[in-house]
This record gives sequence, C-alpha cells and structure tokens, in this order.
Amino acid sequence: MSLTHSRAALRAVVAAVAFGGCCSSAAIADASVLKASDTAHLRYVSASGALLLEKGTATGTLPGSMTVHLDVGATFTGSFAIVTKSGSIYGHGTATPHGSGAYESFSGSLTVTGGTGRYRTARGSAGLYGTFNRSNYALVIQTRGNLSY
Amino acid sequence: MRRVGCPAASRSRRRHRAAAWTAAVASALAAGLWPAPQAQAAQSARLGAAFSPYRLGGRATIVFSFEIAAPAGQLPAALTDVDIEYPQNLGIVLSGLGLDVCSAPILEANGTGGCPTNSVMGGGWAVAEMRFGAQIVSERARISIARAPDEGGHIALLLYAVGPSPVDTQILSPAQLVPAEGPFGGQLNIQLPLVPSVPGAPDVAIVQMKTTIGPQGVLYEERAGGRTLTYTPKGILLPNVCPKGGFQFAAQFEFVDGTKQSARTAVPCPTRRRQGTG
Repeated sequence: MSLTHSRAALRAVVAAVAFGGCCSSAAIADASVLKASDTAHLRYVSASGALLLEKGTATGTLPGSMTVHLDVGATFTGSFAIVTKSGSIYGHGTATPHGSGAYESFSGSLTVTGGTGRYRTARGSAGLYGTFNRSNYALVIQTRGNLSY
Repeated sequence: MRRVGCPAASRSRRRHRAAAWTAAVASALAAGLWPAPQAQAAQSARLGAAFSPYRLGGRATIVFSFEIAAPAGQLPAALTDVDIEYPQNLGIVLSGLGLDVCSAPILEANGTGGCPTNSVMGGGWAVAEMRFGAQIVSERARISIARAPDEGGHIALLLYAVGPSPVDTQILSPAQLVPAEGPFGGQLNIQLPLVPSVPGAPDVAIVQMKTTIGPQGVLYEERAGGRTLTYTPKGILLPNVCPKGGFQFAAQFEFVDGTKQSARTAVPCPTRRRQGTG
C-alpha cells in the first residue's frame, strides 16, 4: 500500500494570510490536509439480521484499530471509528455491492464527520472499496481520500 | 413452450407469440374448445409472507406468496410485474446462498439441472389459468430460483417455472433485489413474461404463486480434502429484535391491461410460546 502524507495549508489559511490574517497561529498550525490511503482487515464479531459488527486493524496513513457497524442490505451502509495513537476518527459510508460468489466486492464513498484528540476537527471524504467474505463475513476495506483536521 | 422475460423488453416484444403454441391451439380446436372472447374482470390481490423457521436472531427461509382473484368464472388480466418490498434488517447477504451464478441460456437449455448447485437460492410453485372456450383451465408449475449475474449493482435472480400439463410450459422470469424506500429494506422485483394462450383468448394469468428464498430444501456442495461435501446453506439471518407492528411486507402488482393492485401483510412478532413458526 502506498502512503502519501502531505501537510498543506488549507484554502482558509491561504485566504486568511491574503486578507491580513484573521486566524490564530494555533488554528493555522492545526489546519492540515492529509491524503490518506488505508487498508483495514476486519473480522466478524456479531450480527443481528443484516447488521454486522466487525473489528480489526487498519494499516496505511492512519494506522490503528477499527470498528465498523455495517448494514449489508441491498446497498451497504455503515459507520466506522478508527482509534489511532493521536486520537480517533469517525464517520459513515455507503457502497454498492457487485458480483457474486464467495466474495462480494463493493465500492462507494465514506465521509469523515469528526474525531477526538488530534483529529477532533476531522472532516473529509474518501473512495471506499472492499470485499466481503460471504462464508466467514470477513471484510477487507480500502479507502483513498482527503482528511482535513 | 418457452417464454423468457426481459426487464428491458417492450410490452410489444413481450407479447411475441411462441410458435410452439400451435400444438396447443390445434389441440384446443380438436377438442372443440375454441375460445369465446370475453371481457376480463378487475382483479384483486392478496399477499402472504412468513419465516420458516421463525426465531428472532435465527436463520430462516423467507416465504412469499400471493393470490390474484377475479370475479367467479372470469380470468384476471395477465400479471407483468410483481414488486415485493421486504423489511429492513433481513440478513440476505449473510445467508450463504447464491455462492455461484446461473445464466438464462443455461436454464433455457438444461433447466436447473444445468446450473451450478451453489447457485440455487430457493423454489416454489405457481398456478396459472387460461381460457379455452367457456372453460377456465388451470396449470400448476414448479419454480426454481437461481442466482444470476448481478445487474446494475443489484443481486439478480432467475425464476424458472416448469409446468408439464395441460400445456408443457417453461417460463423464465428475471428478478432483482433492489433498494427500497421508507420502512422497507429492499424490494424483490419480478418481471413476468406474457404467456400467450390460444388466438383470441387472453394471455395466461398467474393466479397464485408461492416462493421461498432460503435454505429450505436446498443443498450446496463444497470441496474439502479431495472430497465433495454436501451441506445446507446457513439461511437468512433474522434480527434479534422484532420491529414494532411486526415485519412489514408490501407488494405492487402490474397487469397487462395497465391496472395495478397493491397488497400488504405483516409477519407478527413472535410470542415466547410461538417462536418457531412463522
């Protein structure tokens, strides 16, 4: 998995500097955009109907432990939380399943809605891809997108 | 006779007459059963649904059934589409069913016997009625349901109905599981091809159908240690909690005469004593 970790000034910061500075230096220092690419391997914990609870490990730009609540209906929808060393990131996503067989692949998008610690102001969006093992319900999730915090 | 439904087919294409019906027409003529044109009556519809077995948090087969009725002595219009909405939170994807796919050409050529064993997702039966002269004749057909290659990102199914008598009939109906709105988790959309009757008579009308999607009566195979093992798929996982008012189902029926009917039903929440029946 290739990692790209680039800190870049947010447009807001650029604008702030251009217009004489409205933001505190702390806010400027905190404002970061991360190009994130991660892969998570999750294992089945429990299910009720089409609702799955899965836990596992994410590796890549934001390594940590990951928990996913997934509704495997006609479309896949769910929420996630990644706990990293610097704080947690959470959000939700939706994906369309494809194909058939022992593995169901899916693709869609996710939205980061918040976090804690270093990521307390986290916002972002990413492409969401993965496979779902229909025998043991194991999930492999890949994400690629931008995270601002 | 073979009829194959196609979701993209126009109504005129669906009305294409099969040459094989010539034999049936000849038989009808020989029997003096040439049809007398009669007006078709407005039809009503009734929907049924059940889980078998029915245990919250357990594995089940979903049973769908419907009946189309016309006033006594009359034939309902032929059914062209059935959309059955099913409740949220049914673990169809977790059922272990449909691990393989079957295609329409294979089904047409060889029936379900030609399909991979692990593509079968259920079965059932249907009763169709057709008019020969003043008589209404009914035919019962056995239905097999197989998983087909996905269509537009949706799980696709093929319903293959075989009725041997009074007319040798094979009907292939495509279906998809698509997202649904409101309180429902998804929709089973079945497209039914028009099955012509004798000239001058209305198309064959499906008046009853009962289908199951689940492991009931289904056996799968897997290779392990150089041997082929047979097993029963896990089945559709029911939620641990019953929604208020029970598990709601709704259906919309579209007929060749342009009319529509809708019906609703619910699988009531189980009482402690009643768990196990749906």
